[in-house]
Amino acid sequence: MKISYNWLRWYIPEIPKAEKLRDIFTYHLCEVENIEKKEDDTVFDINILPNRAHDLLSHLGIARELASFLNIEFKDPTPMYKVPEISSRLDLGGSEGSISSRLQIKIKTDKCRRYIGRIVRNVKIEPSPDWVQKHLESIGQRSINNIVDATNLVMYDSGQPCHAFDLDKLANEILIIRQAKEGENLTTLDGKEVKLFSTDMVITDEKNILAIAGVKGGKFAEIDESTKNILIEVANFDPISVRKTSKRTGILTDSSKRFENDLSPEVAFYAMREISGLLVEYGECKFEEIIDIYPNKQKSRELSFSADKISKILGMVLSETEIENILKRYNFEYKKSSHDKGDAGGLFEIVVPPTRFDLEIEEDMAEEIGRILGYDKVKPKIPKINFKPKINNTYAKICWVRNKLLSEGYSEVMTYSFCDKGEVEVLASASDKNFLRTGLSDGLKESLKLNQLNAPLLQMKDIKIFEIGTVFLKDKEEIHIAYGDKKEIKEIELKKFVSEKLSPEEHGYFSAEKFLVLAPSRSQVSSEETFHSQIFKMWSMYPFITRDIAVWVPENISSGEVEKIIKDNVGELVIRGPELFDQFKKGNQISYAFKLVFQSYERTLTDDEVNEIMTKIGHKISENSSWQIR
Amino acid sequence: MTSSSLSLRAEGLSLSNGSRFYYSKYSKKAIFVIYFVNQMEKEIKKSPSVVTGKEHPLSMLANRAYDIFSSLGFEIAVGPELESEWYNFDVLNVSKDHPARDMQDTFFIKNQKEKVLRTHTTNVSARAIEKAGKEGRIPCAFISIGKVFRNEATDSTHETQFFQIDGIMIGEDISIADLKGVLTYFYKKMLGDEVEMEFRPSFFPFVEPGLEVWLKFRDRWLEVMGAGMLHPSVLKNVGLDPKKVRGFAFGGGLDRIAMVKWNISDVRLFYQGDLRLNQF
Repeated sequence: MKISYNWLRWYIPEIPKAEKLRDIFTYHLCEVENIEKKEDDTVFDINILPNRAHDLLSHLGIARELASFLNIEFKDPTPMYKVPEISSRLDLGGSEGSISSRLQIKIKTDKCRRYIGRIVRNVKIEPSPDWVQKHLESIGQRSINNIVDATNLVMYDSGQPCHAFDLDKLANEILIIRQAKEGENLTTLDGKEVKLFSTDMVITDEKNILAIAGVKGGKFAEIDESTKNILIEVANFDPISVRKTSKRTGILTDSSKRFENDLSPEVAFYAMREISGLLVEYGECKFEEIIDIYPNKQKSRELSFSADKISKILGMVLSETEIENILKRYNFEYKKSSHDKGDAGGLFEIVVPPTRFDLEIEEDMAEEIGRILGYDKVKPKIPKINFKPKINNTYAKICWVRNKLLSEGYSEVMTYSFCDKGEVEVLASASDKNFLRTGLSDGLKESLKLNQLNAPLLQMKDIKIFEIGTVFLKDKEEIHIAYGDKKEIKEIELKKFVSEKLSPEEHGYFSAEKFLVLAPSRSQVSSEETFHSQIFKMWSMYPFITRDIAVWVPENISSGEVEKIIKDNVGELVIRGPELFDQFKKGNQISYAFKLVFQSYERTLTDDEVNEIMTKIGHKISENSSWQIR
Repeated sequence: MTSSSLSLRAEGLSLSNGSRFYYSKYSKKAIFVIYFVNQMEKEIKKSPSVVTGKEHPLSMLANRAYDIFSSLGFEIAVGPELESEWYNFDVLNVSKDHPARDMQDTFFIKNQKEKVLRTHTTNVSARAIEKAGKEGRIPCAFISIGKVFRNEATDSTHETQFFQIDGIMIGEDISIADLKGVLTYFYKKMLGDEVEMEFRPSFFPFVEPGLEVWLKFRDRWLEVMGAGMLHPSVLKNVGLDPKKVRGFAFGGGLDRIAMVKWNISDVRLFYQGDLRLNQF
């Protein structure tokens, strides 16, 4: 979520510098994805964690959090919102009476937890005031008009989505919140046709569907340039219902995102006050009374925890004073009942703020206190526990097999578990390989092919490979071993392989209960130093060219002498060799044959340029009159 | 014969009766962990003409990780790759409608309701502590490294299959201090003593408090694991009593450690069956 520094400053005038804010977010709240410096503002893109999405997907929420964390002033805007005067029916050209709004809201689904509506008349659609535009633009939102902007501003400020309908487009002043009927449709504000199901919740008048509740407004009652009278919606919808509809329709909005994360219905009231106050500032609007349908008021919750338990979970000793200090800063209402001794085991009971759905159990308070203090305050230690681990037989067998095959010259590969045929099929895979492998041999065959092509690049005489991996049969999975070379590939189940290949003298290997046995791989034997200094070298993606060169020389000449001349003249394109692969004597002469492999990291080499190198080497060799290229 | 296998032989000869002793200075008592290195040695001596094959880098790393955790008393655990939704999600406090199920793109199975390709090896940890609880083997600690699957588009840092390290420890008085100690020890052994560690607030449904593990390696900060204290619901789900025991859990990618450690730029290289990868 994007958070504007300047916007926050409205509520916390003593806000620290942006760099410090970044650290507070990172170490005490959530990850900072990005920081963007604008002309006179800094915009943070932060990843609010799912358990704080109830209260922190808003500038006000973040400002409140920061003020408590830093123990600095929080300027609560709520008392400053202008409260509209309610126009009487007479004012609005109706007959005189005490009813200040004829708006009727009928909630016909339990998925709507609260609905506050308000009719506002005599609005003038125009561009928003500068500061509203600036606020929205700072977090990447396009300004549309003063009314739509007001609903958006309130959402990014309070976290509560709001919506405005053009009242004059409605059949009458009756609003219904219900589940959609199969076959109903809606055209969204951005012109998308949506087919509705009974699992979707909709806002309707007596004739038309006006919006998909909490997800997207409809075209039908859209605010346009000629809108005169509006109906403001500030509601609370069931998170699971909104999530399902949003997922099915593929319409993910800032509104649906907030409802999905479970908003407190208590927030709606403040948001209605905020948007009303904003419209008062626009001037000239005439306000009707708020209609608030709130069938099941959110209950107040208490949570108790002990300083002792929190200390034990975190692994650091916390005093009651430290905890009280945090509770005070965060404006928790709390009671303390100390043990007789009055020590660090003191019990606290807090009233959970309505927006803090994340605080349910003692462990949640451990997190709250832990992250506020910062986990760097916890000193790491190695637990001194006498565990009694057992040998894992499967792992021991895998290690034994791996070591055995490695020692026989087989190299290990890993290939994909997915393939294009099999007995178990995965759903909705992004690739065309929708099945799980029933064997390893096909993958190994491919791998052999690839490595045989690359054989000149590999320091191996013959390509011999193996894979140890899981295969998936109709109703079970098995660990298989496949190993092979150019002649054949064998595949066998792990246990069978072990029982067939285990020599009598190795028999105690898997049952040596007196030891904590871990069959090591070769790698574990490499020294600490070697392990930490290993560096991987990426290979070239371009094709390679191989050349052999054989030279007759007098028998007293060593292969090293010939090799040196080749080396000195081969240039930088050689990636392997010269490698002596053959030598034989005839009379008083000896023939040495070397292999050379050429490859570039930047381009495809041509035969011509490699021939040129070989010619150059040939010339150098011929400079010795007794040497002769075969 | 490659240089690494030469050094292997040299070291092997220096060992007394072919076994190796590891001493953990942090343990209350000296814990001697004896490894059957001699097995390898015998093989090599028997047939000196055979050049040993090259191990896959991820196996090397997995074995080293197992080695490190074993020296702290962790027991190795393995478990199914095709898993029930119960052990992959529900037991871990990820309810059916929890948004967290969206966080991991899951491969579901055709005609096998309630089955998924595991999205983490935490399923193995959950199964292991459940079993240990039934057998009365508490305190306990388990480590599992295995293949996991995510249904997502692949690129140089995302793959549909990769390996995860998952660990869990249960005892009467386990805390975040223990979690920090164990993971700091692990990463320093894995990447070198110069590694710096940070534990930052995070959220995963199966832990509370939840943490993200970050480390600084070669001047870069990287997120390497999710971790935290086991949520009481998870303990209850596996038949343990959260009033009597606590525990920590952690999980993170093995491929990622490999990429960072050896400077391998593309995760997909691990699964091509290309021996040019086996450089060590």
